[in-house]
Amino acid sequence: MIKTILLFLLVFFLQSCGPFKGDIEKNLEEMDKIHGKCNNPYREFTRAQKKICEDKERAAGPDGKVDDPINLTKLIENYRNFREGNFSTSYGGGMSINRNLWGASLILLEQYPLDIVDAQGGFISTDWIIERESPNQRCLIKINITSEELVSSGVKVRLICEQKELDVWYQDGVTYAQEEKNLILKILEIADVLSTTEKLS
Amino acid sequence: MKKLIIALSAIAAAVGFTTSAQADISVSGSSNVAYVSTSGADSNGDEELMVGNTVDFAMSTTTSGGIGISASMGLSQDYDTNGQTTSSSVPSGVTGGNAVTFTTGGATIVVGDVEISDTIGAIGGVVNGPLDDGSDLSSSAASGFTDDDGLGAELTTAMGAASLNISYVSNDGADNFGIVNSSASGADSAMSASITMPMGAYSFTIGVADSDTGESSSGFTASGAIGGGTATIGYSNQTLLASHASLTAAGDSDVYGATYVMSMDADTTISVGYQNKKDADSESSTQTDLSIERAMGGGATVYLDIRNLSGDTASNADGSAIAFGTSVAF
Repeated sequence: MIKTILLFLLVFFLQSCGPFKGDIEKNLEEMDKIHGKCNNPYREFTRAQKKICEDKERAAGPDGKVDDPINLTKLIENYRNFREGNFSTSYGGGMSINRNLWGASLILLEQYPLDIVDAQGGFISTDWIIERESPNQRCLIKINITSEELVSSGVKVRLICEQKELDVWYQDGVTYAQEEKNLILKILEIADVLSTTEKLS
Repeated sequence: MKKLIIALSAIAAAVGFTTSAQADISVSGSSNVAYVSTSGADSNGDEELMVGNTVDFAMSTTTSGGIGISASMGLSQDYDTNGQTTSSSVPSGVTGGNAVTFTTGGATIVVGDVEISDTIGAIGGVVNGPLDDGSDLSSSAASGFTDDDGLGAELTTAMGAASLNISYVSNDGADNFGIVNSSASGADSAMSASITMPMGAYSFTIGVADSDTGESSSGFTASGAIGGGTATIGYSNQTLLASHASLTAAGDSDVYGATYVMSMDADTTISVGYQNKKDADSESSTQTDLSIERAMGGGATVYLDIRNLSGDTASNADGSAIAFGTSVAF
């Protein structure tokens, strides 16, 4: 018994005096990425806490965020309007941005998971995009529609990329001006098609 | 949960239960509903509906010196138990309350009912609780100590980027109240130590455990990002006693396992798992898991789990099981 107490006291002593220095929370978070928070062997949970933790982890999904509840009625309505090209109805009446630029931005980003979609403010941000070939690099695209008119200056695009080093993500500090310009041109091209189609119908 | 905290604070303020202590009591909970179809249980298989709810009350405070102190208790109706049980000395449905956790910047110490890590490396299970608990698929190959928890203390500390865990059970015959130096039969001590170290893109965990009963174990896991997901492999060797529920002869059990978890998009996860184990009775089994989960927003999730177990099992405890269910976290 005395040996056990001495062992714990020794560990405490070493822990506070140098070689054991470290940030336990940071280390635990790194282990969470491997085992999942609820199955991290270094985290203590009661039976009830473990169950709730697992349910919360599932509810958050891979991106770690619990999204708003899905409104099936709105989902079906939006899909129907989008299919019929009725963007003003689909994304909210009274929007103060150009609906063709908005629709073109959504079409451009349709293959990526979206993190923020603010139809009123005209702002879209994708979630982090990671290509299978480059697991240590991730990028996100932010699009801001600033005009009610279909003009080239009515859309702004930012491309932000991060690089992973030793399991920590850092901004790569690269300016992607040409790529951003290409994305703007693509949005304008799609918006023009949408606008033409709208006029013909 | 935030809504509940705000609501509780408002009620406390309204009836005058105000306090200046820097304490926090939070309430969280979850519900589970699952349909399970399994070839286990009897020769015809079973189709089961499993429903359970859990509420947890977590209490915490921080001293002026920066030490965090926390504990929790919960109420649970398990999805694999029909109705409340009264056979235990613990009131039915009450969980936790057997330990207190002290936290500093560099270490976490748990005092009370702790569990040693006797199965490090024995990985491979990826299905959710209802299928894991209710499929009735059960291997006859023994693994895990006869008793791995009891009254003791656990320390988790950081050493740079590495993490060290030492768990000590002084009396495995007690949980939160008992004699720490008991010499009574059945009141054994046990200890485990494990360390996790990141090495480049990979992370390695090694661990050992030993019990005064004569049981011991060692194992390792290695994890890394491969092909857009996280792969983990593990191995565990456990020296168990003939008194183990699944053994007739004392000796070594070997457990090999692997898991692969991949995100399909921001809300969808697919996991596969494999585990093979063989014990001193020369009984062995192979378990294969598949789990697909989809977060629906608002705390809800739907999932599909499949498990196959083959090898040495009890009668009608092998075959396949499938579960489709939803869980909601509040």
